[in-house]
Amino acid sequence: MAAQIKAPLAGKVISVLVSPGETVEEDDEILILEAMKMETSVYALAGGTIAEIKIQPGDNVGEDDVLMTLE
Amino acid sequence: MHKYFKNMDVLGKPLRDKVRDRNRDSAEALQKQEAEIRQAKDQTRQFGLSAEKINSRGQLTIWQRLEILVDEGTWRPLHTLYNPADNSDCTTNVVDGLAKINGRWAVVIGFDNKYLAGAWVPGQPENILRVTDLAKRLNLPLIWVVNCSGVKLPEQEKFYAGRRCSGTTFYRHAELEQMGIPILAGIYGTNPAGGGYQAASPTILFAHQNCNIAVGGAGIVSGMSPRGYFDTESAQELIDAAQKHQASPPGTVDIHCDETGFFRFVFDKEEEVLAAMREYMKKLPAYDLDFFRVDDPQKPALPADDLYTLLPANPRRTYVFEEILGRLVDASHHMEFRPDYGPEVYTGIVKINGLAFGCIGNRQGLLPKGYPEYADYPGIGGKLYRQGLIKMNEFVTLCARDRLPVIWFQDTSGVDVGNQAEKAELLGLGQSLIYSIQQTDLPMMLVTLRKGSAAAHYLLGGPTANRQNAFTLGTAATEIYVMHGETAAVAAYTRRLIKDQQAGKPLDPTIEKMNQLVEKYHETSRPLFCAKTGLLDEVADLNEIRGYLEAFAESAYQNPRSICPQHNMILPRIIRG
Repeated sequence: MAAQIKAPLAGKVISVLVSPGETVEEDDEILILEAMKMETSVYALAGGTIAEIKIQPGDNVGEDDVLMTLE
Repeated sequence: MHKYFKNMDVLGKPLRDKVRDRNRDSAEALQKQEAEIRQAKDQTRQFGLSAEKINSRGQLTIWQRLEILVDEGTWRPLHTLYNPADNSDCTTNVVDGLAKINGRWAVVIGFDNKYLAGAWVPGQPENILRVTDLAKRLNLPLIWVVNCSGVKLPEQEKFYAGRRCSGTTFYRHAELEQMGIPILAGIYGTNPAGGGYQAASPTILFAHQNCNIAVGGAGIVSGMSPRGYFDTESAQELIDAAQKHQASPPGTVDIHCDETGFFRFVFDKEEEVLAAMREYMKKLPAYDLDFFRVDDPQKPALPADDLYTLLPANPRRTYVFEEILGRLVDASHHMEFRPDYGPEVYTGIVKINGLAFGCIGNRQGLLPKGYPEYADYPGIGGKLYRQGLIKMNEFVTLCARDRLPVIWFQDTSGVDVGNQAEKAELLGLGQSLIYSIQQTDLPMMLVTLRKGSAAAHYLLGGPTANRQNAFTLGTAATEIYVMHGETAAVAAYTRRLIKDQQAGKPLDPTIEKMNQLVEKYHETSRPLFCAKTGLLDEVADLNEIRGYLEAFAESAYQNPRSICPQHNMILPRIIRG
């Protein structure tokens, strides 16, 4: 079952730290988002395999936009 | 109460290799910065004559004396880079720090006899006042290694007189003695005038056989016949008189041991003076720390070197504060106070060498949705909001009741601003925190992990809490300023930009000034500047922080002025519910 990883707030994607097919564990840092003058880490809420990455560095995202899916 | 302190929650998780790899550049940047700071410190130790030169005169250097005086591995230097007067040929010409002497903690200070035979120099009084403040705050004995040639005469106008001048030290010594804080002094070399009082004002004087202390030295005694000018005849008179007094300077051991009895003890060898002082430490009041321990001393469960990976060098990058704390406290144990309230700050009880402390630190990163509850915008760690301020007020007040000294970890961009924040009473709540801190009689220590900014730098245990803050430690990542340089440039020059544009003037000159201001903020906020100007009492490597925590912890409990029975503590019970 695929789980969606959503943007916790609006901001700009600074870097994507994982690749499709990569296995992650809960609390792994998977993405860095710039918002409110800070570069905030986004963490995996559960372990799994990165199925799809919908964003790339430089993209602006809105709150709750789907960033990745995790299987 | 032992169940509360032995069965605590555990902070942090072991680092994984991929996290270490990802943050390698940041770790290397911090280590590079630390290497530069260490180099600056080494340079200050080398001011003046070489050790060989001093030794050839039959004397030890201050560093050699300290090595004999303090217990191995316990020296925690402070003010190494402090140089508020911007002296070019030395810093403040005193060396100080916390150290154990014969198993007991003390505040230790000595004149650097490699430079002008330990003279008073500009900026030195402020250094000494910090040291006497530290002894006062921690109720620790003050241990002097005196070797003071008196005023650096060509610059006397900068430090001889005033409210906070070199002479203030003598008054401070009397003040410490009034408070029951003993001052031991080992006395070496020639100590005329100011040096004489420097030597005479401590409680017990341990003298080396070749030392002397006097109201005025040979230089003054031989030259006290002012004519308003100098000529060849008077120069010859001076030479003759000085040679006579140099052969027999005033205030030798013959006078001040045998006649006045000022010197309690006199020793033939330099080392014997220090050995006697070490021995005397046993006679001074100090609790066995087991009296206060809530658990056995334990090292952190996670390694300190992880800090280089966990604390980002980039101040815009967020991190997990609990992971930092887990590398610093006993067994990585903690007991968090109100974890579901005020999420931007951590408050909790931790242990250092088995002793209990209140701990407060800024969390970083995005805060839970809906917080701050009074605003229509999201909250971000590092900033202070209503709940966090209320929580810290409660926590500090409860720590005061339970006599738990407080360790602060600061990385703050400020207090939330805007009308919603004003309605949420942040101004008053911030001042309430200052009030809460002031009402305590707790020793506090601050570690400025990264940013100390805006009023939040004051609120979060900053050195402005003169009576509570024992000392402030910085790291290679520390930056202290009223606001970020770019923010300051916007605040200072935006109106000018508008006026320039309206007047049809080019914007470039103002833009250049804005960039200059940004650059100035950068230069005047970094660790070396902060240490030089005294915004920090010391800059430590990340893996040295634990050593300073231990020094503070054991010092704070060595001779506390008041006590809370462990079974009467309320904070652990409030936490557990």
